[in-house]
Amino acid sequence: MTTQTESMHPPATDLVIGMAGSGGDGIVSAGESLIAAAAAEGYHAMMTKSFGSQIRGGESSCRVRIGTSALHNPGGILDVAVALNWEDFLRFGAELPVSSQTVVIYEKATNVAPDQLPLGGVHPTDVFAVPIEEIARKAAGTDLAKNTVVLGLLAGWFDLAPDAILRGIRKRFAKKSAELVQNNEKAFQSGIDYAKANPLRQARPLARVSRSTAGLMLLDGNDMCAAASLFAGCEFFGGYPITPSTEIMQYLSREIWRYGGAVLQAEDEIAGIGAAVGASFAGKKSMTATSGPGMSLKTEMLGLASIAELPLVVVNVMRGGPSTGLPTKPEQSDLFQAAFSGHGDVLRPILAPTSVADTFRVTVEAFNLAEHYQTPVMILSDQEIAQRKETVDAIDTSRFEVLHRRVPTGAELESYERFRATESGISPISHPGMQGGNYLAAGIEHNDKGDPTVSGKIHARMNEKRFRKLDPLRHRQDLFAIEGDADAPLALIAWGSVAGVCRESLARVRASGLRAKLLVPTLLWPIAEGVYQDFLASVQAGLVVELSHQGQLYRMLRMQVDVPRGLKSLTRSGANPFLPSEIAQRLEQLAIDLQSRVSDQKGEG
Amino acid sequence: MTTKVSGLDFSKLTLLDALDLAVLIEEEAMDRYRELAEQLEVHNTHAAAKFFRFMERNEAKHREALLTQRTARFADAPRHVRREMIFDIEAPEYDEARTFMSLRAALEVSMRSETKAREFFESALAQISDSEVRTLFAELRDEEIEHQGLVQKELDKVGSGAPGDPEDYADEPVSH
Amino acid sequence: MTTVQLTSKDFKSNLKPIWCPGCGDFGVVQGIYRALASIGRPPHEIAFVSGIGCSSRIPGYTTAYGFNTVHGRALPIAQGIKLANPELLVLVAGGDGDGFSIGGGHVPHAIRRNPDLTYLVMDNQIYGLTKGQLSPTSACGLKTVTSPHGAIEHPVNPLLYVLSYGAGFVAQATPADMAGMTAIIEEAIRYPGFSFVNVQSPCVTYGEDHQQVKAHRTAMKTLASMGHDPSDRMRAFELASHYGEQLYTGVFYRNPNPPPTYGALVKERQAALAGGLPRERILESFIQR
Repeated sequence: MTTQTESMHPPATDLVIGMAGSGGDGIVSAGESLIAAAAAEGYHAMMTKSFGSQIRGGESSCRVRIGTSALHNPGGILDVAVALNWEDFLRFGAELPVSSQTVVIYEKATNVAPDQLPLGGVHPTDVFAVPIEEIARKAAGTDLAKNTVVLGLLAGWFDLAPDAILRGIRKRFAKKSAELVQNNEKAFQSGIDYAKANPLRQARPLARVSRSTAGLMLLDGNDMCAAASLFAGCEFFGGYPITPSTEIMQYLSREIWRYGGAVLQAEDEIAGIGAAVGASFAGKKSMTATSGPGMSLKTEMLGLASIAELPLVVVNVMRGGPSTGLPTKPEQSDLFQAAFSGHGDVLRPILAPTSVADTFRVTVEAFNLAEHYQTPVMILSDQEIAQRKETVDAIDTSRFEVLHRRVPTGAELESYERFRATESGISPISHPGMQGGNYLAAGIEHNDKGDPTVSGKIHARMNEKRFRKLDPLRHRQDLFAIEGDADAPLALIAWGSVAGVCRESLARVRASGLRAKLLVPTLLWPIAEGVYQDFLASVQAGLVVELSHQGQLYRMLRMQVDVPRGLKSLTRSGANPFLPSEIAQRLEQLAIDLQSRVSDQKGEG
Repeated sequence: MTTKVSGLDFSKLTLLDALDLAVLIEEEAMDRYRELAEQLEVHNTHAAAKFFRFMERNEAKHREALLTQRTARFADAPRHVRREMIFDIEAPEYDEARTFMSLRAALEVSMRSETKAREFFESALAQISDSEVRTLFAELRDEEIEHQGLVQKELDKVGSGAPGDPEDYADEPVSH
Repeated sequence: MTTVQLTSKDFKSNLKPIWCPGCGDFGVVQGIYRALASIGRPPHEIAFVSGIGCSSRIPGYTTAYGFNTVHGRALPIAQGIKLANPELLVLVAGGDGDGFSIGGGHVPHAIRRNPDLTYLVMDNQIYGLTKGQLSPTSACGLKTVTSPHGAIEHPVNPLLYVLSYGAGFVAQATPADMAGMTAIIEEAIRYPGFSFVNVQSPCVTYGEDHQQVKAHRTAMKTLASMGHDPSDRMRAFELASHYGEQLYTGVFYRNPNPPPTYGALVKERQAALAGGLPRERILESFIQR
């Protein structure tokens, strides 16, 4: 076989690789190596991981997307699928979708014939049953080096930064022994050799990039959230381990001490947020993080922070629910909880990041809102963003303003009233240690001074104050991204990780000539009626796309905004990711329907 | 009884210290009657509260008189006796007030306090050697006896005819 | 940290207690005023945290920074405060329901961390604020509105509970002995670490007659008069096991060699790790090299 038989495609600008195996196969480690190498070469890259429920040894998978330009999501249908065994691969279902265009690489020892792949009637044209274990054994003396062989195969077939991968392998194994380095170098080379000897039907080399990698970062959303909290001045974190948010606490447990702060790993979720509320009362910026079930436990404390007007950032890294649900998979089903859980008349701002990079901005914003408005602020992240690793271009942190709570001046402390009525509804806040600022913070309703009361009149006035202070939020245009054609009749609305999918879908339909636009709210609650109303003015048809069964933002919009009849909810339960292509197709269909309605109306006329 | 005062040796009590102690005893009683009156006012137990307010003013007067005596004799000589050294000498105990307590019950509280104070001075007298201090404490004891008489008169006025237990007529407590 | 000459009055706020006249808590709050005056820290350097219940209203009756929080959660909130500002004197108070029922899970964890704070439980063996239901320290057989046929469960023993998790200072007091109680509270505050005082503070409205302050005056027996050595932890267990039968007051246990406090260890760690990237350059650690 010679390379002459290959037909040559223009170099790919984007490659989506999905790999699955059992935990012992180290397929996620291979993904880590791949993304690190891609990042080092200057590619934009992103990796999501997905696991079964076992602590170790269960099925595990990762998707690595590598592109020459900015990526907004982990990609749709796989360009390359790697299956170390089929049972594990198939457990991921819609998370690892394949088509006939997908290059399928699988372990030959699975004894599945290339034309008998268990892919539900999909028949890929490029299928390789590779004796991965055997190659590993021969090269490295152990079949444990399977994942290194896989890296070699990928480097060989797709020209994926082989030098950088090799550097990564050396770095990784150098800590162990020179022999291990050598064996893995051999395993890697054997993979490359195998690929060269068995070329693809059509070569698909990834285009080279030439951009500076200076300042380029590689991290996941949880680390970004934790680091951003330190940037914003966080000095206290109280929390309890819960997947998929725990890495936030882990990062801060390592780092926060360097900044004079502290982490309290609490005895339960309630104590975690309680300690954070206490630290805030004591004058420190503080945060807690959890996922849905933990949020349920923390809810009572949110009420306390709201009525005592204490700044607090609360992160909910959403996973599938209710209850334990799907703890390792993303879902957008906690928006109702974030907005409506808890007792009493209360308004808490809710922000959602759309990517790892965006998590920085959103976290800093959350601290700013919390401190400025003296309120708990929720960040709704999700498992995908929180645990996906992606390349992030250098962030110029000097562009971000960091706000602090307004403390009383010396003159104000002369006759201090903690909840003094002000025009903005924001009252200067003292803290223990501040002479003259002494007051009683309480869950019970209080007057301006902070003294408890059961007066209905004062309660009404204080409720009004607590809502009024948040009014300006609903006019924060900068907390909404609007993309596409301003007067388009077709629209998408999406938040969180789904927004990145919709960004790509929008680009696709606009490239094919449709006029469409996309609204991505960072601020989910309170609903900024005006922003939606303006956006929807030109809209005749569209979709609010959400990864949940109910479509919670859509329902909240229906509560508060006059949504056009043509705006529908497109939903799907968690762990069934949307594909950019399918949303694009939906939009195209909507455009066709609109067209025919127009012609119908003309016909009737 | 003298265990109610900490850090003072009664056998060596000087007149200055004795006067200061007497002022503080009255002051404590005054504060306590005010606190009990406040408790009762918050709980709309007016007749008893009014009486405790009356007692507060009484104790204030005594305190004032003793203070005048002290200043006349010792001017602003430094004090050695501190409020922290005493607890409940003439003051009714904190647990003496009751919601809806009758005037009669309030008078009985006062009677117990005056009796308690008299007993205190009596037992102190047994330990005191200084003649001036003895005179002062004897006066104070006699005052307590006089007060007992006054309170008894008020009790007689109220009569022993029991008005019934106010709890039998009152609303149920309110839960929070 | 400052200490100044202060009197009880400096700690008394203008708020009028909602407690029923005759409530044990009136004595307790006076004891606290006096203990704080004796300690000498000004009110603005004190954070007084409570949960929910009659006794949890107590911070508002002092001039300190008060935080009347949610039911059962005073300890975690207080630990957050203490960690955020170790210089503060932190007092925590609440009832038996707050501390040993809804918040019972927090007590062992506060103890194992050993923050330098003082936890005062006003134990009245009943739920007063909600009108007389069974509490975790109610005696077996007690008839209440939620146990009209008599309680069939046994009470928690707060003293053993706290002792067994390793608290360094465990005491019991009653407002029937104001001087004794005040001295115990002061000693608890001065103890460097987690200190616990179970104050038998009767409920005048729903409590049993034999548990009222008056009854305490005759029933109480001081541990000092029994010759108890507070450094003897095993003897402390034995004495504490009589909770509910005997009203022993005084210090059951005081660790003669107090271990480092949580705050001290946190400070040590902060000092050891000081000097990371400045906050504005925090992202540099993620840069690929």
